[in-house]
Amino acid sequence: MCKEYDVVVIGAVAIGTSVAYHLAKAGYSTAILERGDVASGSSSHCDAVALICDKLPGIDTKMGQASIDYFAEIADEFEYDFEYVPKGCLYVCETQTEFDAASDYCAKQNADGYALRMVGREELCEMEPHIAKDLAGALYTPESGAIAVSPYKLCFAFIHEGRKYGLECYTYCDITKINLDAKTNQVESIETNYGTIKTKRIVNCAGAWAPFVGKLTGLTIPIEPRKGTNLVSEQTERLCNHKILEYGYMLSKFDSINFKRKVSPLVEEQNIAFNLEYTPSNNLLVGGNRLFRDYDIRSEIETLKAISERALRFFPELADIKCIRAYSGVRPFVIDHLPIVSDVDSIPGYYIAAGHEGDGICFSPVTGRFMEQIISGKPTDFDISKLDFARFS
Amino acid sequence: MLQKDVLVIGAGPAGLAASIEAGKYGASTLLVDLNMQPGGQLFKQIHKFFGSSAHRSGTRGYDIGKQLLQEAQEANVEIWMQSTVIGIFPEHKVAIEKGLDSGKKEMITIQAKKIIIATGASENAIRFNGWTTPGVMGAGAAQTMINVNHVKPGQQIVMLGTGNVGLIVSYQLMQAGCDVVSLIEAAPKIGGYAVHAAKIRRAGVPIRLRHTIIEAKKGENGCVCGCVIAEVNEHFQPIPGTEETIACDTIALAAGLKPTMDLVKLAGCKLTFNGPFGGYIPLHNDRMETSCLGIFVAGDTTGVEEANTALEEGKIAGISVAEDLGLISPDTASNQRKEIWERLHSLRLGPFGERRMQEKEAVMKEYETCIGAPIPIQ
Repeated sequence: MCKEYDVVVIGAVAIGTSVAYHLAKAGYSTAILERGDVASGSSSHCDAVALICDKLPGIDTKMGQASIDYFAEIADEFEYDFEYVPKGCLYVCETQTEFDAASDYCAKQNADGYALRMVGREELCEMEPHIAKDLAGALYTPESGAIAVSPYKLCFAFIHEGRKYGLECYTYCDITKINLDAKTNQVESIETNYGTIKTKRIVNCAGAWAPFVGKLTGLTIPIEPRKGTNLVSEQTERLCNHKILEYGYMLSKFDSINFKRKVSPLVEEQNIAFNLEYTPSNNLLVGGNRLFRDYDIRSEIETLKAISERALRFFPELADIKCIRAYSGVRPFVIDHLPIVSDVDSIPGYYIAAGHEGDGICFSPVTGRFMEQIISGKPTDFDISKLDFARFS
Repeated sequence: MLQKDVLVIGAGPAGLAASIEAGKYGASTLLVDLNMQPGGQLFKQIHKFFGSSAHRSGTRGYDIGKQLLQEAQEANVEIWMQSTVIGIFPEHKVAIEKGLDSGKKEMITIQAKKIIIATGASENAIRFNGWTTPGVMGAGAAQTMINVNHVKPGQQIVMLGTGNVGLIVSYQLMQAGCDVVSLIEAAPKIGGYAVHAAKIRRAGVPIRLRHTIIEAKKGENGCVCGCVIAEVNEHFQPIPGTEETIACDTIALAAGLKPTMDLVKLAGCKLTFNGPFGGYIPLHNDRMETSCLGIFVAGDTTGVEEANTALEEGKIAGISVAEDLGLISPDTASNQRKEIWERLHSLRLGPFGERRMQEKEAVMKEYETCIGAPIPIQ
């Protein structure tokens, strides 16, 4: 018998599982298709925080804050524990120049109503006793704007909760064809190794792989894979109390920011931005960088060395802590650093929720809600026309 | 970055033999090992080897080790001890935590044209209540303590497992002055050679067949003070009511070995599961090359066997890299490999060997079918 659903979601990492959960909860018969296992894509190859302070002022930050507030709600509501921890974040500034730049950023965010504040060297050293003593200070984001979750447990949680509303999940599913109506271009069905699945609506949530799904219906989706690497330490006493990032992270993420750090050629070439967080198991995650390497996620020794070198600058005691593992993953990069959360004019019934780069975990709850609102023809919580796919045409 | 023709990982019999061959033909060869001294398991093998004179029968393991070391030096092989390979990266880059004379470690990245992985095997653990109590250890660990470090692991030993390792280590523990209380074997018959079992029996040590250990007892000092054994049924499940307690301070586990696969996996080599060889092993061809072009394997990493087969496989790997580096002609290499394979056939005879020969052939056949030729890695 031919399977039929109101909506089929493609890709079961943070964005896709959230979209599928929200649609199922809204009463749509929903299926989610995944090429591998749940959470086998980027959401199991990333770090674990959701922040407002790594985003540009404007819609970026607005979505971040909406998501972080929403995380607190679903952490209460969900039966499945996804290790939600309010954390707080310090954006450390190596020099006075960085401190001044961060102060400007802080002022802009304050003007929009976000409770960020600058802390001086002394206060920074009190908040983080193990940090290098010669830093200029930091931008502090309180727990209301900086939380941590387990990214893959988050995916499992959305699937688990979605199943309560009838969500069906197809793993190791290969999509060979998406059939459109010859006249109207309306989505009709998907051909897979599970057989033909009839549906009038599909949501492409395939992240860095969204362009491949796009190609099946002749769509060009301008997403590129951007590689990031993290080191994992042995279990250790808690070396930091907050999520720590260097201000240079903004530089690594947004190449439009005109700012130069004094770093070694290796750190420069590897595009390293130090960040550090502890996990519930007391291992440290040490990052990170952004590089274009197509879909190759093998770790590179030069990257590992450069991350370590940069980390020691901020936390000298890391020299005595062993690295037990390293992993890399691809982030779905879009040139304007904004995701695509949108319908597609040329194909009725085709939707895209992809291209969140490093914000997939952070933006997943609101993205799911927005997509349900778009499909239901409701107004979205706030104006997200900047995320429209039509901006690329 | 330090450049080498050949990097050999693991200085046991396979790694030593491979580096001697590669070095002998003029390849710049680096051999690394995380232990204090090279030789792998050879230096704790105080017993004489069996077999033909071509395989050094009658020679003790540690003498073979000394001989190999000398040959490696003559072949200009550079050896780094207490050095751990922590990763194999794209383009044959290998990160090594090198042990320095000062006792400190230094991270060094080298790039090698050819890599030979000969990381051997590790002991299987058996889990029972109290299995992590101090005094429970692998039989190989007990053997290292007596034969290499000259320290007795304890006074009263219970050995679990009667394969050749269980039997030989039990006998050597007795020679070292320990009291081997009992050998415990779940199967209905002894696993190892009768000649080794006879030595144990002559010494009056009971071998308890169809029994297993179900608990390690912890004494007031926090260490093992005894073990509870029980008879097992035909499904190897303990039969209630048959428990008895044996006093001992050491429980040695000789429950087989499994190939050490970490680096093989990191390098991206294609694997196959093979029960008789101890678990997952890398697919390889008759030149000992894996699915990854330029990455070779030898010894127990390719399936648990013994020192002589490891030596021979190491030689094949060494000859093959010398050939690929253009240091010897394909004809010479091919002839030499043929001779070695003949010797390997003779080693893989008899009730234990024949099965391994068949399995080895199956692994190489799977390689031909599934891979054909090694795949270049970018």
